[in-house]
Amino acid sequence: MRWLRFAVFIVIVTVLQAGMVDILAVTRWDVKPDLLLILLVFFATYCNTSEAIITSFAIGFAADLIGSAMGSQIISFGLFGTALAYLHRVITIRKMPYQALAIFITGLLAGTLAHLLTLLKNQPTPSNIYAVLFGTSLYSSLLGPFLFLPSAWWMRIKTHRFSRS
Amino acid sequence: MVVAPQEVTNKFQFAFARIFRWPLSIGRNISLSARTRQPLGDVVSRREHGQLQNHLANVTEELVEKHRKVEELSGLRDRLYALEGAKLMLADVITGSIDGDNKLIINRGESDGLAMGQFVLGDNSIIGTISEVSARTAKVKLITDPSSNIAAKIVGLDVETVIQGDGKDSVKVQLLSIKHKVKVGDDVYACKKPGLLDTAIKIGAVAGCKRDDGNPLLWDITVKPACDIKKLSDVAVVIMNPRQ
Repeated sequence: MRWLRFAVFIVIVTVLQAGMVDILAVTRWDVKPDLLLILLVFFATYCNTSEAIITSFAIGFAADLIGSAMGSQIISFGLFGTALAYLHRVITIRKMPYQALAIFITGLLAGTLAHLLTLLKNQPTPSNIYAVLFGTSLYSSLLGPFLFLPSAWWMRIKTHRFSRS
Repeated sequence: MVVAPQEVTNKFQFAFARIFRWPLSIGRNISLSARTRQPLGDVVSRREHGQLQNHLANVTEELVEKHRKVEELSGLRDRLYALEGAKLMLADVITGSIDGDNKLIINRGESDGLAMGQFVLGDNSIIGTISEVSARTAKVKLITDPSSNIAAKIVGLDVETVIQGDGKDSVKVQLLSIKHKVKVGDDVYACKKPGLLDTAIKIGAVAGCKRDDGNPLLWDITVKPACDIKKLSDVAVVIMNPRQ
């Protein structure tokens, strides 16, 4: 893992998520893709387990920086990124539909846990949070697999390392 | 971090917003311009129209207030413009509401005279209050935030009430008896608050009015904010007693 590239990449993506993803917002709830969630799944599926765990917590911290309350995303992203990394030892998530499914499920689970942890901090959350969560996970899952290739290029990760052919 | 106090963990968020202020502002401006349709040359934009409408409503309300004062306290002098002595601190929005948390981070802070509780204007209407402040940045709790409670009054009524955000893009008027006549389109104003706001300023207009399902003796009133908060790129903070 090239950690300097990773740090620069996360900073750029975090700034994009905070400032520019509004362009892609759809529906009256302003559902936007979660670029950090996509990266979480990307690193969990293309790195070894220890690297995936570190990147999950780092991405969670970045998500907290632009979120409503600190702490909730680092835990939820860290937990589900770790779970996905261990799952990846058993199941190889290589085809785009499977990657999309992984993003969707991880988004729902991590988002729900983050929401519950945010409630612990007495931070207000919108009443339609689960609808937004569903929309964000779906949108991210549709967009995410297409961002895996440029992400792999930037990180110099060989996406066909485990190919059978 | 989950158990750490919010004011401590906020420092991380403020630091991030401060360090990456330029790319965040540029990104937000690009987003806003991408989502805003360019107006025709000789047509006033919807935003400018909204600003003028809100200004007109504020001046009209102030006029009514002044008339009442003149009638009640004839002979006493008062300022013609209640906000004349106040300082309006313009600020750029660094980050808008993310994940629907109904907060903005702006590029002004304690060193510019900002303090918690101060009212924030967008397009000449109240959009929220300062909820957290650091040296050079501050967080604005929008009126649409569920934890936002602001004293307000509906035009034509002599009773004050409280408005609370619904977490989406509207505001609910609470505890208003159905004996008061309210109709869709009525303007809603933030009430005067000594030291923070010396005159009533428009918040929005009644968008829906029906009997409360839980308590039929109360109205369930939905108020639409007077400006499109999501499209704001700059705001003004009302500082009633500015430092010299």
